[in-house]
Amino acid sequence: MKITRTANKLVFHLGKRDKQFFLEVLKLYPRMPSAHQRLSKTAPVPDEKSNQHQQLLDEALAEQRAENKKLLDELLADSDRFKETETGARLSLLAGDVEWLLQVLNDIRVGSWVRLGSPEPKLEFAELNHLTAPDYWAMELSGYFQVHLLRALGGKS
Amino acid sequence: MSETATPEVHPGTIQEKKEESESSLEPGYLVICWNDPVNYMDYVTHVFQTVFGWPRKKAEFHMLQVHEQGKSVLTRESLEKAEHYVHQLQKYTLHATMERDE
Repeated sequence: MKITRTANKLVFHLGKRDKQFFLEVLKLYPRMPSAHQRLSKTAPVPDEKSNQHQQLLDEALAEQRAENKKLLDELLADSDRFKETETGARLSLLAGDVEWLLQVLNDIRVGSWVRLGSPEPKLEFAELNHLTAPDYWAMELSGYFQVHLLRALGGKS
Repeated sequence: MSETATPEVHPGTIQEKKEESESSLEPGYLVICWNDPVNYMDYVTHVFQTVFGWPRKKAEFHMLQVHEQGKSVLTRESLEKAEHYVHQLQKYTLHATMERDE
């Protein structure tokens, strides 16, 4: 995968295999189980209000995921921004696209890790089998694209 | 360790008690990011920069605190603002919560 930067966009040049993996892994979005994220470890507000605050957070996150899914579908359907080429595909991201795409990729990564049982520090090789492999694959592959995106932004991953 | 100055008190004078600002009297809520083995360090740094508008060095400081100490208190805010920040951090699937500052 090669990334070039122009004045206002990042262009990903995906080979045939990367294109296939990219499209396959994005099909998994959203991956985080609903209502998994908690507002607090304790109860920061009185009990009767606490549930209400948690519900508002759950709704806000669900709305955000629906919006990201819409943006993702639009991106992949836009032949100017996602163009199939002889060697694979060319993906053009504007500044505003980067943040939601990072959210999408990390949702798939963390959601897959949660589905694996949130192993600490990481999944042992011995635990890799036909049941855990799909989630392990999704976690690693979304991380692979995420790292490339962060590098293009100037990070050091 | 730096020295602290002791205020002089003169007989016959009234010391004005410094009024505490309104915000310091309100209950505060700590926005905390917790460590996990799945979020990349550069990703966490990037999210802190984006959500709080911090320079990279400050974002890296808090990211390393999360990584090495298991958590980092990112900010102390009113209930509404703390909820806002937790929502922003959770949009990026970071393990963030808000806790009442006792």
